[in-house]
Amino acid sequence: MKYFYCVATFHSTYHALQFEKVLKERGYEVKLMPVPRQVSSSCGTAGEFPCDKKEEILKICEEEGIIVDQVYKVEKKEKNNWLSKLVNFNMKI
Amino acid sequence: MRDSKIKIIASGGLVGILAAILVKLGNPANMGVCVACFFRDITGALGLHRASVVQYIRPEIPGFILGAFIMAKIKGEFKSRGGSAPILRFILAFFLMIGALVFLGCPLRMILRLANGDLNAIVGLLGYIVGIWIGTQFLKKGFTLGRSVKQPEIGGYTMPVFAIILIILLLSAPSFILFSEKGPGSMHAPVFISLGIGLLIGAVLQRTRLCTAGGIRDVILIRDFHLLSGLIGIFLFALLGNLIFNYNAFQIGFANQPIAHNDFVWNFLGMTLTGLCAVLLGGCPLRQTILAGEGDQDAAITILGLMAGAAFAHNFSLAASPKGVPYNGKIAVIIGLIIVVIIGFSKVLDFVRKENKGGVQIEA
Repeated sequence: MKYFYCVATFHSTYHALQFEKVLKERGYEVKLMPVPRQVSSSCGTAGEFPCDKKEEILKICEEEGIIVDQVYKVEKKEKNNWLSKLVNFNMKI
Repeated sequence: MRDSKIKIIASGGLVGILAAILVKLGNPANMGVCVACFFRDITGALGLHRASVVQYIRPEIPGFILGAFIMAKIKGEFKSRGGSAPILRFILAFFLMIGALVFLGCPLRMILRLANGDLNAIVGLLGYIVGIWIGTQFLKKGFTLGRSVKQPEIGGYTMPVFAIILIILLLSAPSFILFSEKGPGSMHAPVFISLGIGLLIGAVLQRTRLCTAGGIRDVILIRDFHLLSGLIGIFLFALLGNLIFNYNAFQIGFANQPIAHNDFVWNFLGMTLTGLCAVLLGGCPLRQTILAGEGDQDAAITILGLMAGAAFAHNFSLAASPKGVPYNGKIAVIIGLIIVVIIGFSKVLDFVRKENKGGVQIEA
């Protein structure tokens, strides 16, 4: 089972912080995190958000003057731990 | 994320254990790896300062750069980039080094000192955290050195080539290169072991992005503990390594710690300056060294700033010694704090003005 999430990267930390603030105020599920390693070798701050909200979120960013550098779709591997395997296994039965 | 957490703790642990081994093999006490001290030693070996006890071309540094370079090349992550406020980076790096040499060690050595029972490092750590906290306040208000852009390909090779030249100079030892006959500069592990360990650390850290400033910054700014767990890895494994390899040298306390002084105020303020500069630069000296290997010319100019800072620190008697912090060093730290805070404020004001022009409301 594969999970995906989307991240936006920014040129400045300020915009990352604004991203979280503005979108949380509007009830979106967003979270700041270090830029995922798969995306870049830099160590800045990125914002995670649900991929299906991409269009709306980017539109809000544009309205609010939050400059987004790139948006990436990242595969979530952590769900492959033993717990989720167990759950999957039970589901199959 | 569990997987990557294990990786970053392991990479920190690798740095910690290898640092302990380097001390066992001849590096100065609590200085298995110290990026600031090693750049200072290299600066001295090149004759840019004349402190005769701290002159040696530390092969670990070219190792870090080339290890990161090779790994970045293999993974297709080598990118020639730069142009983000180079002169401000130079100045910030300059004062980062002044702060580090007043404390006697970069943030990495601070962790290694702590892992060998040197409690002065706790004072330094508190100062470092305060410095990073001040830096994050600037980041929150809009501080940025600006984005880096693509640069001519050859520029990215600056530091890797510099690293190769350093290795050649070390091995050929021409008469214009200075090597300490006594003091910390005369103490070193065998050249090829140091180089090999440097290459290994450089390659691993290119993958995991371990950064002493980033670790604490992320906790303060976004409550993320990913990079911090790497620092805990360094501490735990350096502690373990010291207890295994250097047990006789392990002592808990403030007094008579190797290559350290116990002047609380200046240990604290030196590291405050270092932390503030590191967070505005976006990475500690270790991380900058790795980035320079990846073709990042902003990191390359940062390294030149570090070396200039080291040269001035010894030429102007700013650097501390186990005897304490000289008067000039105290003045330099205060000047540094003032200048760096001015840089922080000016960039924030600059940003606010620009945003206002664009018609965007800024909240206080």
